[in-house]
Amino acid sequence: MGSLGNLASSGTLTQILVGLSRTTILFIVSSGLTLILGVLRIPNIAHGSLYMIGAFVACTVIQTLGGGMPAFWAALTVAPLAVAALGFVLERGFFSYLYDREHLMLLLLTFSFALILGDLVKIVWGAEYRSVTVPAFFQGSAELFGLPLPYYNLFLLLVGPVIAVFLWLVINRTRMGKIALAAAVDSEMVSAVGINVGWVFAFTFVLGCALAGLGGALIAPMVNISLGMDHSLIMEAFLIVIMGGLGNIWGALLGSLIFGLTQSLGILAWPQFGIVFPYLAVVVVLLFRPKGLLRSTW
Amino acid sequence: MLRVESAVLSFGGFRAVNGANLEVTAGEIVAVIGPNGAGKTTLFHLITGHLSPDSGRILFKGREISGLPPHVICRRGISRSFQVVNIFPRLTVFENVQIAVLSRERRTFRIFSEVKGMEADEVHSILRNVGLYDRRDAESDLLSHGDQKVLEIAVALGGKPELLILDEPTAGMAPEETERCIRLIRRLSEELGLTILFCEHDIGLVFEIAKRIMVMVRGGTVIQGSCEEVRRNREVQSAYLGETGGC
Amino acid sequence: MNGRRAALLLLLAVLVALPHALPRFYTYVAAIVLLTGLLATSLNLAIGYGGIYQFHHAVFYGIGAYGTALMLTRTALPAPLGFVVGPLAAALLSLAMGVVCVRLSKLYFGMLQISLGSLVWVTVYRWYSFTGGDDGIHGIPLPDALGSTGGAYYFTLAVTVLCLAAMRRIAASPFGKTLEGIRDNPVRSAAVGVDVRAHQLVTLVIAGFFGGVAGTLFVVVDTSVFPDMMFWTFSLEVLIMCLLGGMYTFFGPFAGAAAIVLLRVFASHYTSYWSLVLGVILTLVIIFLPDGILGYAVRRHRAGEARSA
Ligand SMILES: Nc1ncnc2c1ncn2[C@@H]1O[C@H](COP(=O)(O)OP(=O)(O)OP(=O)(O)O)[C@@H](O)[C@H]1O
Ligand SMILES: [Mg+2]
Repeated sequence: MGSLGNLASSGTLTQILVGLSRTTILFIVSSGLTLILGVLRIPNIAHGSLYMIGAFVACTVIQTLGGGMPAFWAALTVAPLAVAALGFVLERGFFSYLYDREHLMLLLLTFSFALILGDLVKIVWGAEYRSVTVPAFFQGSAELFGLPLPYYNLFLLLVGPVIAVFLWLVINRTRMGKIALAAAVDSEMVSAVGINVGWVFAFTFVLGCALAGLGGALIAPMVNISLGMDHSLIMEAFLIVIMGGLGNIWGALLGSLIFGLTQSLGILAWPQFGIVFPYLAVVVVLLFRPKGLLRSTW
Repeated sequence: MLRVESAVLSFGGFRAVNGANLEVTAGEIVAVIGPNGAGKTTLFHLITGHLSPDSGRILFKGREISGLPPHVICRRGISRSFQVVNIFPRLTVFENVQIAVLSRERRTFRIFSEVKGMEADEVHSILRNVGLYDRRDAESDLLSHGDQKVLEIAVALGGKPELLILDEPTAGMAPEETERCIRLIRRLSEELGLTILFCEHDIGLVFEIAKRIMVMVRGGTVIQGSCEEVRRNREVQSAYLGETGGC
Repeated sequence: MNGRRAALLLLLAVLVALPHALPRFYTYVAAIVLLTGLLATSLNLAIGYGGIYQFHHAVFYGIGAYGTALMLTRTALPAPLGFVVGPLAAALLSLAMGVVCVRLSKLYFGMLQISLGSLVWVTVYRWYSFTGGDDGIHGIPLPDALGSTGGAYYFTLAVTVLCLAAMRRIAASPFGKTLEGIRDNPVRSAAVGVDVRAHQLVTLVIAGFFGGVAGTLFVVVDTSVFPDMMFWTFSLEVLIMCLLGGMYTFFGPFAGAAAIVLLRVFASHYTSYWSLVLGVILTLVIIFLPDGILGYAVRRHRAGEARSA
């Protein structure tokens, strides 16, 4: 009896750890989204497309370099950079002229960008799905309480905190980050002090896009890389950001944790309706705290 | 008719209204004066329900109204204009006033009757009264600033209020517009018997039309009394009138 | 004004004649245009007239469709009852969602609404035993009169015209005018005694109801339902229809819906990149004509009138 209970609870534990590693991806993508939302006030639906592009770029890099660990690291570097470059073009070319538009307009504008980027991906990479394998180094599983936890999930579990610390440093320890934080609260004030807010916005936008690209690159070995992978992710990322509090990076972290955990535990408890639980969690949170769990910068 | 008893409201730690007292009796014109940031607008927001006081009481016709939502307070008989122009920019002048009248007549939930021309008589008479009749079909967004301020008053009149609250009705107006506006306020009081509570920075204007004056400084009431009493009050002279030059 | 009425009558005549002139497929497309136009118009009541950020309107379309589909497939009750149950279910859901959402304003309203809508979507998406899950329900049996493409088309036409007339009536009523006031300035509206939330709630119920009617019509035309009907991307697409035609006009959203449905049908004949085409058009409209195409035309027209007056 006792051993059975043990087995069930260690199964729960692996499920939680797998859920947490998925949370890492959600956190990376939604922290980028919330950064852009908090500082530039743009509800960027194209963020999902950037994530998808990150995955495709990573796939191309890995396939060109023939797999292996160097190719994997190259992909993790190139994908965020490529997406950041694309973000830079979008910001300078469009958004920098449109900051004062109504949120609804910006939402629809970014949706049209998502439509365009989706088709561009189709043109460049074709309509078939692609896949890359986990590099040999990460293949296999660690034993955890007698149950396997894939090394790659373990790796993701480490990446999450690294990114969180990195973002904390960028925001609190660099001049640009501090200005961005101030601009999030009151951009007029910042420009009144004589700082060129335009470049702060551009920096923030590019950083946010790079995070989307990184998320895409990290997910690449785990899923089929396909058109449409942006749709479900961007919805989840938005819900996470809303739940956490608009513009709050720690809110994105908390939201991702809640979203990821309710999902993995939900699947454990009731397989058919597992994916309903995170949505339910968001609704419950918003019913009681309509402005999100943590303090929003809005 | 209206009575504010030691109302307090803080934004964060800052007490914008700090123990203000005010008494308005039916039929009179009362002015609130005070330097910038004294809390006049905030006090009006408290009276009309846009904010609710942390403590203190606000009574209208003997009934407590503090904490009620704005639309309920409006229905009790208080209408107001705003310091910053606050109208329905995409609607015509006529429609701006029409909504106020429809609302007073409780007709806003009628979903199948034709709104066009509804209540036209009353809307027209209000517009004639304030001098905007000729512009009745113009989109209100396109009016001059002065006309928009007057439209503010017209919208407030659509509610047929017993107490009319005007927050700096002449702010930003050209001299002749100001003149017209003063005459309008006087006429509303004399012909319609409206009770009017307003605030203004132009002291000359205040002494010209107000029967009684309340002086507000840093959220509190310094004095409320007749023009003479206020003029003679030392504290007011030093705190306020001194800097604008005596009148 | 009279010219406009004549134009509408002419359009109606063309629509009535359509099935006789067109092959069956295009009759089907025309019916889809009609019901999608109805859907966009219903959303516009909330967003264009009321200024309410109804981000996930497709949920009511979906619930209207599922309500009808489930009545037709899982019960032996008479079909007309199913046609009524769908829209009523949508209106009821709209009421329930509205009650919790109207406490909030603008973006926060939209965010709670989209979260609730996603919850509804994901439930329908996973509830295989009841809703058919991600497969949806296909081959829904209809009464004989609606079984043919022509029958379904005429039914759709009649219902759409009726609903548009009703909504037009509502838009031109005291309620509609008050709603425009709330959109322009909710604070002012409250200050003249309007109970803003109550009006918004009624608007949401009306919009949800007509959205549900559109969903029911989809069942009649397509004899199927599937969860993608209420996926958030479709909600945004309907928003886009409103924007494209013009949110501050009554018929703009209908025109926008027609444009997008037809664009999809015809552009996908020539290219598999029709969303690229749509995306580019949209970007241009949003940047250069934020009032929408019809809205822009109306503004020009008004400006012309003002100049000649
Ligand atoms: N929403 C708010 N949040 C924080 N502080 C506020 C808010 N509204 C007003 N204040 C502050 O409260 C004080 C009183 O403001 P209020 O607008 O009532 O002054 P006022 O007497 O109307 O001034 P003015 O003559 O300039 O119109 C000011 O210091 C203002 O900065
Ligand atoms: Mg003021």
